[in-house]
Amino acid sequence: MRNLIKAHDRVKDFDWEHSYAEKPDRYPTKYKIPRKTKDPFRHLIRDYVSMEQEKDDRQYGAMEDALARSNSAGKAQPRWMEILKIAIPTVNFGEYAAMKCCGQLIDTVDNAELRQGYMAQMIDEVRHTNQEIYLNRYFAKHAADPEGFHIGLKARGVNLFGVAGRAALEAFFVGDPVEGALNLQVVAETAYTNPIFVTLTEVAAANGDNVTPSVFLSIQSDEARHMANGYSTLAAVVSNEDNLKYLQTDFDRAFWRQHAFLDPFLGTVYDYFQKERGSSYLEKWTEWIAEDWVGSYISKMEPFGLAVPEWFYLAQEHMKWKHHTAAMLAAASWPMHFWRWDPLTEADFEWFENKYPGWYELYGAFWENFARTTGAADGVNPLAAFEALPPLCQVCQMPCIMPRLDCNEVRFREYGGRILPFCGDPCEKIFFDEPIRYEQSVNFWQHHDGRSIAEYISASGMLRADGRTLIAQPSLDTDRMWTIDDVAAWDYQITDPMPAIAAQLAAAGSGTNGSAHGSANGSAS
Amino acid sequence: MTAVLPGAVDCAGKPSRDFTYVPSRRRRLSEYEAVTCFTQPDIEAYDQQGWLLRDANGRPPWVRESTALVHPDWFSFRDPASHWQRTYVRMQAEQERAIERSAEDAAAEGVFDEFDPVWVRDILGRHYRAWSYAEYGLFRAFAVAQREALSDTLGNALCFEAFDRMRHAQAIVLHLLELEDHIPGFVDDGAKAVWLEDPRYQPTRRLVEELVAGNDWGELAVVTNLVFDPILTEISVGQLVRRFGPFHGDPVTAHLIGTTERDRRRNLAWTREFVRMVTADGVPERESNRATIAGWLASWTPRIEEAAEALADVYDVPPLQVARFEDVLDKALRTQSAIVADLGLDVGVMA
Repeated sequence: MRNLIKAHDRVKDFDWEHSYAEKPDRYPTKYKIPRKTKDPFRHLIRDYVSMEQEKDDRQYGAMEDALARSNSAGKAQPRWMEILKIAIPTVNFGEYAAMKCCGQLIDTVDNAELRQGYMAQMIDEVRHTNQEIYLNRYFAKHAADPEGFHIGLKARGVNLFGVAGRAALEAFFVGDPVEGALNLQVVAETAYTNPIFVTLTEVAAANGDNVTPSVFLSIQSDEARHMANGYSTLAAVVSNEDNLKYLQTDFDRAFWRQHAFLDPFLGTVYDYFQKERGSSYLEKWTEWIAEDWVGSYISKMEPFGLAVPEWFYLAQEHMKWKHHTAAMLAAASWPMHFWRWDPLTEADFEWFENKYPGWYELYGAFWENFARTTGAADGVNPLAAFEALPPLCQVCQMPCIMPRLDCNEVRFREYGGRILPFCGDPCEKIFFDEPIRYEQSVNFWQHHDGRSIAEYISASGMLRADGRTLIAQPSLDTDRMWTIDDVAAWDYQITDPMPAIAAQLAAAGSGTNGSAHGSANGSAS
Repeated sequence: MTAVLPGAVDCAGKPSRDFTYVPSRRRRLSEYEAVTCFTQPDIEAYDQQGWLLRDANGRPPWVRESTALVHPDWFSFRDPASHWQRTYVRMQAEQERAIERSAEDAAAEGVFDEFDPVWVRDILGRHYRAWSYAEYGLFRAFAVAQREALSDTLGNALCFEAFDRMRHAQAIVLHLLELEDHIPGFVDDGAKAVWLEDPRYQPTRRLVEELVAGNDWGELAVVTNLVFDPILTEISVGQLVRRFGPFHGDPVTAHLIGTTERDRRRNLAWTREFVRMVTADGVPERESNRATIAGWLASWTPRIEEAAEALADVYDVPPLQVARFEDVLDKALRTQSAIVADLGLDVGVMA
């Protein structure tokens, strides 16, 4: 009979003080972590591989057997299936980035207990990376409309929102490893994996997709251990008072960076792609993020000196509209994506108004118009309704139109001889605290500046097998599908809006502008 | 049939039912390639917008300087074992179950009673247990290497090797716990002091610490899998513990080591593939890569050989002399030389 206590003690006694060669400070951290802490990981590798093999067998077995025979993927609601074309590849980078985060933590955090936990998480993240791409490929094989699934990771790289996702998720492993752990384990995993891997599975199942829940719930069964890693890391950090002076700032930044992308993204996936409707994203956000994470998890840390993130209440205020605004821009730019939209119906309008009172007055006209003008015969370019493309935030890479077009918080600031846009106060502050981390980022409009939208679509491989029909469509109607010729006829160029805005600000005699609400940026006409 | 499904599109050509963005090595895309390739963004290929975050010194997520080797497309690497997480974890779960069953059977058959006491105390309890620290050190080095590797296919191979190393370290600890349960008077203690202080182990410890301190993931893979394992692991574990064991009443430990040797063969295979890739015809920097690797071999091989020689006395410890240290070392050096010669590389100090 194995003595588990002895086994755990001994496998956590592998560290020694190196005396022949000094390890370089590869991933510098300002935090002091005690060498001994509570052990977050209670599995030996022997138990771990056996447990994970069983979970893999259950999940992959179900996908290839009962779920394949019942053709769950093929029969699911088309509206729901469409958004998975971008959702899966985008979330996937989070897993891959998490694996890299763990490598840094293993190197930097000189604590044998925590290292064991990071090691298991590192291999878990390979698991999740593989599971999600397996799911993506499964949909390429089995979905009613496979186009878009078949180019998932490639298309992510050239997608406006795929790139914004990468901007947030790079924070898992680029920078101080402890700050990476705050982004990954404390914010993304503890706060956001529940809305991603738990509540999205409810939507999936309600909409006939039983495959995504099989994968996501299997992933979530590992996340509890990662949350424990986060909690132990955090507990170790707060145990040294010297750390507190950095911790809150890093935590504030981590929360905002993840919120700025994840909430508009998840909110759009959740609210705009349900056909069989249930809860709203706001309801789930309130339950998981506000009540569970802030109300319970973070408040437990308060006696140790960690407070609710500075911008949490601003985020909470934004939550009512932010993702509706993001969804509107995503729909208006539909030809640039690789999924189809299903225009909202009267029943959807009613649901939105019920869940978000006031929604119809703000967004109803856009969606009614969108539904009317989606026929290729109409030839209407929805982006032409904007005076100019909205600036993209230098930090979060999201459009500076949040929380709403009519009350956005965009601001322009001069830095290094350039005028840079920020979506609001938090991203501006984050930038000026450490400009070196963000100043070199090239945004989506800048990168594609001067290209025609038709050229962008063709070069990105976002055409269907016939070589002319777009993968993206503004509706699920197969009688009126848009082609590259329809888009070419617009003669619309992607134009970085910033040179014009900078000129406008210079002409107005102000290098910067703190309250350019809907003036210099695009506002829907 | 799919045309009747809700949402199906049957008027825009026959869609591809598989990923079209992964260049497959085979006629059909393998499961391994499908779930691995381009999970790491490639700013030379599909992610040309570039990086969106840098660290406090302005360093982007990945830098080409993380290895002295140069290749135009690191993403073209393929692991010859084609492992992805599922196949890898399944393989390790099978190996761990095999170890566990062999210990169970040994206990049931009273095999532990037949273990030679000197063998148990000095070779398993001290020497082999000291080796668990070497493996743990290598785990740490490979965990960093997977972070820095310049493609997903390389990062995953390095990540699996990190896990291999920790698995071996833990398996040694569990094996000795088993011995504590079945061999009266045996206690697993004292090996850490051996690792830290015994002069015979200091050259090995120095090597491991230097590998942990290293800053080149390519060098780590080449040195560990083409030199350290074929010479030092072979001398210290493959020969002394696996080969000598059955002659000292211990057929059980050999079983455990068999599983780690399977890992070693896999790691040797992917590293060979890696070296072939960076020295292949058509790689513009193949000559400088060859020179870089030759430099690594010239720098590390003599020190690894010295570390092996420092263990010569340990071969005198087992009561039965199953093989002479000189012969074993000679064979290991020849095998290692053949490995690098086969890759068209400079064989370092070995003639």
